[in-house]
Amino acid sequence: MTDAAQSPGSEHLRCENIRVSFGGVVACDNLSLTVPRGKIIGLIGPNGAGKTTLFNVLTRFQEFDSGHIYYEGRQIDNSRPHHMVHMGLSRTFQNINLFGNQTTMKNIMTGAHNLMGDPFSAMFWLPGARKREKEAEDRALEIADMLHLVPELESIVGTLPYGYQKRVELARALASKPSILLLDEPVAGCNDEETAELKDLVFKVNRQMGVSVLLVEHDMSMVMQVCDYIYVINFGANLAEGTPEEVRKNPDVIAAYLGDEEDQA
Amino acid sequence: MAQITQTNGLFQQDDSARDRLNAVNACKRRFLRQDVTATLIVFAALVLVPQLPFVKGWMLSQASLAIIFIIAALGISILVGYTGLVSVGHGGFLAIGAYTSALLTKYYAVDLVVGIIAATLVSAFFGALLALVFLRLSGAFMAIGTLGFAFFVGTVVNNVPIFEGRDGILLDDNVVLGMEIGDFGFYYVSIVTLAVMTLFVYCIVNSGTGRAFMALRDSENAAMSSGVNRLLYRTLAFSISAGITGSAGALNAHIVNYVSAEVFADIWFSVDILMAVVVGGPALLFGPYLGGIFVVMLPFFLEELADFAFIMKGVVLILVLRFAQQGVGEVMFRPIQNYRRRKLMEAGGAKVD
Repeated sequence: MTDAAQSPGSEHLRCENIRVSFGGVVACDNLSLTVPRGKIIGLIGPNGAGKTTLFNVLTRFQEFDSGHIYYEGRQIDNSRPHHMVHMGLSRTFQNINLFGNQTTMKNIMTGAHNLMGDPFSAMFWLPGARKREKEAEDRALEIADMLHLVPELESIVGTLPYGYQKRVELARALASKPSILLLDEPVAGCNDEETAELKDLVFKVNRQMGVSVLLVEHDMSMVMQVCDYIYVINFGANLAEGTPEEVRKNPDVIAAYLGDEEDQA
Repeated sequence: MAQITQTNGLFQQDDSARDRLNAVNACKRRFLRQDVTATLIVFAALVLVPQLPFVKGWMLSQASLAIIFIIAALGISILVGYTGLVSVGHGGFLAIGAYTSALLTKYYAVDLVVGIIAATLVSAFFGALLALVFLRLSGAFMAIGTLGFAFFVGTVVNNVPIFEGRDGILLDDNVVLGMEIGDFGFYYVSIVTLAVMTLFVYCIVNSGTGRAFMALRDSENAAMSSGVNRLLYRTLAFSISAGITGSAGALNAHIVNYVSAEVFADIWFSVDILMAVVVGGPALLFGPYLGGIFVVMLPFFLEELADFAFIMKGVVLILVLRFAQQGVGEVMFRPIQNYRRRKLMEAGGAKVD
């Protein structure tokens, strides 16, 4: 990896002409987007636009018919989901997907799986593995403190309130030292207070840790406030893109969200 | 709220945040984990059994049998408790371990210790091999598949000449480091094996490898997104589990110096081991201890009603599955766990209601 590839603003994650169909239904048709390094990119669109499908394609949970995905300029079409975090790409889930009957601390530590080395040195507690474990623990504590999870570190996550669980999931994603974070509707179902808090956290993660972010979100206030650049998709195709200001004023976007005046008349 | 600024690539907390973390860490240290404590207490009791004045030879072999079941249950707990895969065929690995050690002892006159190690490795190898088959199945299909494996092993030892079927293989007295050992010696060999395997399981469960197993158990998708290679870790769990159970099999061959298809082709072994771990607590270190002792000692305490044990076991199993799905051990620890959690919340600065 060259320095040029690491510099801010260079291409970090890119997909090109992604097409996904389920039987006869085309969920994504020729979708392309680019996440530059160090930026927060929003991906929005009405219900059923194919946002989550594209998200799952980018994290390799979903197979696709045609198109290409590039990570730091390298094609990763054939990577498996568990490879992604080793490259530095970490994700959260739309419906919370935690290890429900484990403690918060264990959940966060599991997120650091990619830093633990091979399973054999870990299970025999070899010196190198113990050193890595200690580092992961320190980092987990720091992340927990940043996300205000310290009092609940030893609680079973399944018993925690919704907003807490969302933060635990974010903490788990951060534990792997990602360079890019893909968030699938991080504030869905959160109240105003929780939304404001998560918004600050996403901002902090991006600006202070330099992590690129791809945000799939329905909450317009959050998208408009934190994103540097926004892609709008509709019926599985690119509809518009631009800065939040441009997207807000784009007549196609307004039509897609609110319906055409002619339709309504 | 802690002010966090970036230094050297990570965050730095202000004093109040560091104080909070220190308080939490201190609190964690203060509570020796109850699971480990309970395990150590039972282990110490097992070490002292032969020293008790009223213990006779047959009691000792009964205690040895309990230890063998604890080891086997420890093995299956890796699979059932921590990785979330059900095996109803671990008796097959017990048999593989037993015949490995028995054949080596008969034809090469190897040391008992060598026999146990060889049994562990051979079982682990077969475990890894079979994982490639079983992991293609899921849920109940996998359970049935493993049951088929136990029957398969039973048929093989019954019919392939080298295993000498129902006539069985009679072994010489056990030899460790060139010395013949009696019942007491054998008991301590079992204890040492138990100690090694318990430590091994403890190390796995409290390592990143164990976390990966538990991640696969609780959510496959979340595990994969955390970078866990599903096939690799499930195969590993299967192999480790088979290996530990195999070591119990070797001990089971040498406890009476006799192996025969009559004993090892029986799938009740598989059922008993599985039941031990489900009753005791599959995801606890203490669970196999509790369950292993329960399964072995129940017929013993029922004395002439020993045949009744099957029914009793069934009743207990139903009660456990209905009222204590995490096992009896978990129910025992619950009050301590709640107390510990309350203390941690106080240390972390949370309001406790």
